[in-house]
Amino acid sequence: MKKLVSKAYKLLRTKDTTPDQSKRSFMGGVAGAAGLAVAPGVMLYETAQAKPLDEAVTDQVRWGMLIDVNSCSDDCNACVDACNDEHGLWPDKTSMTDSQWIRKLTVRDPQTEHSQSFPVMCQHCENPPCVDVCPTGASFKRADGIVLVNMHTCIGCRYCMMACPYKARSFVHEDLHDQLPNTPRGKGCVESCNMCVHKLDAGDDTTACAQACQKDGHQAIVFGDLNDPQSEISQRLKSHGGTQIRADLGLNTGVRYQGI
Amino acid sequence: MKSITQICALVLILMMIVSPVVADSSKVPPPKGEQCVEETEWMRIHHFETILHQRDETVLKGIRTTKHSLKNCIDCHITANEEGEYARYSNKEEHFCATCHEFAAVSIDCFHCHSDRPESAVRESIEKYKKDGINPHHGDHSSANDLILKSKLLSAQ
Repeated sequence: MKKLVSKAYKLLRTKDTTPDQSKRSFMGGVAGAAGLAVAPGVMLYETAQAKPLDEAVTDQVRWGMLIDVNSCSDDCNACVDACNDEHGLWPDKTSMTDSQWIRKLTVRDPQTEHSQSFPVMCQHCENPPCVDVCPTGASFKRADGIVLVNMHTCIGCRYCMMACPYKARSFVHEDLHDQLPNTPRGKGCVESCNMCVHKLDAGDDTTACAQACQKDGHQAIVFGDLNDPQSEISQRLKSHGGTQIRADLGLNTGVRYQGI
Repeated sequence: MKSITQICALVLILMMIVSPVVADSSKVPPPKGEQCVEETEWMRIHHFETILHQRDETVLKGIRTTKHSLKNCIDCHITANEEGEYARYSNKEEHFCATCHEFAAVSIDCFHCHSDRPESAVRESIEKYKKDGINPHHGDHSSANDLILKSKLLSAQ
């Protein structure tokens, strides 16, 4: 028995080296093709490689989103539907308390009557107030800039919901079932947009909302790495600039808007 | 005489410790693979250690190796029965985790939040609920079975 246990421990200690090779080699190929090759094996700049499954995320990337308000259609709800489908959310329109990770907001200037519609979700701040106030450390910022709730340590006090200037978080009031494997969620925990971490960790480089917006032809949401000067999001921010909602709070949000 | 009783008692206690604790799993559909990611005997006693370790690695650092992930356990161990149905954790006779936890009287919270079936099975139920206009996110856990019943009744009509 003792032998068996020690053998199992040894097995456990050996590193898991079986990530999804097919996806990695595919992503590697794509990234390689995107880079500018001067000579065989010499690149002008380093291209972002998909993170292997067994490596921790680093602060070399900072995921962010750029939302072009002028391209966002008033009557389109594709990003919200895609988010609900991806994470198995099931908001009941009659319920005041059902979770919403992303919502369409319509703002109107009473003077000119000019109205705009755009999605608002967790803004993934660099200095997140929700993390500051969390008494258990459940609300945290991952190395790659994504602000998450560790539901294993969340006690459901909802301080973070009070602290968030964007009203981005929801509390689960009732027992749930039929949750999806990639998005575990349950009663008594606070939750919010997680920038589709399961997709990013698997080597994907987009989110469900950005994908849906792209598919619908609006292309109002650009998702990418804010730290990479060559990424589309950085290039667009460089040429056209971007606004943060409540920039006065100095939170340095990861989600930026154009045309507000 | 006293020592014989003592020896007998000791043997009995030893037998209780050594004898394998196995729940009745005759109704559990067989797993997909032939061998677990670790030795079966070791897993029986220590599986929660690997799951607990992996959970923090995944949530905090984004490490998503499949070897010790709960999702991988479910994908392999929870398979369809002869009628093509996937057992939920509330099914104490057919769900792989539930049979043993019921037998050992260990209550776990995992499946309050985590999926107790593979993604394809969950997606299938969600589609069914949508078709029947039922919202599964309202009502408590015990009503899950009522919902399945209601769904079955609706589709039978």
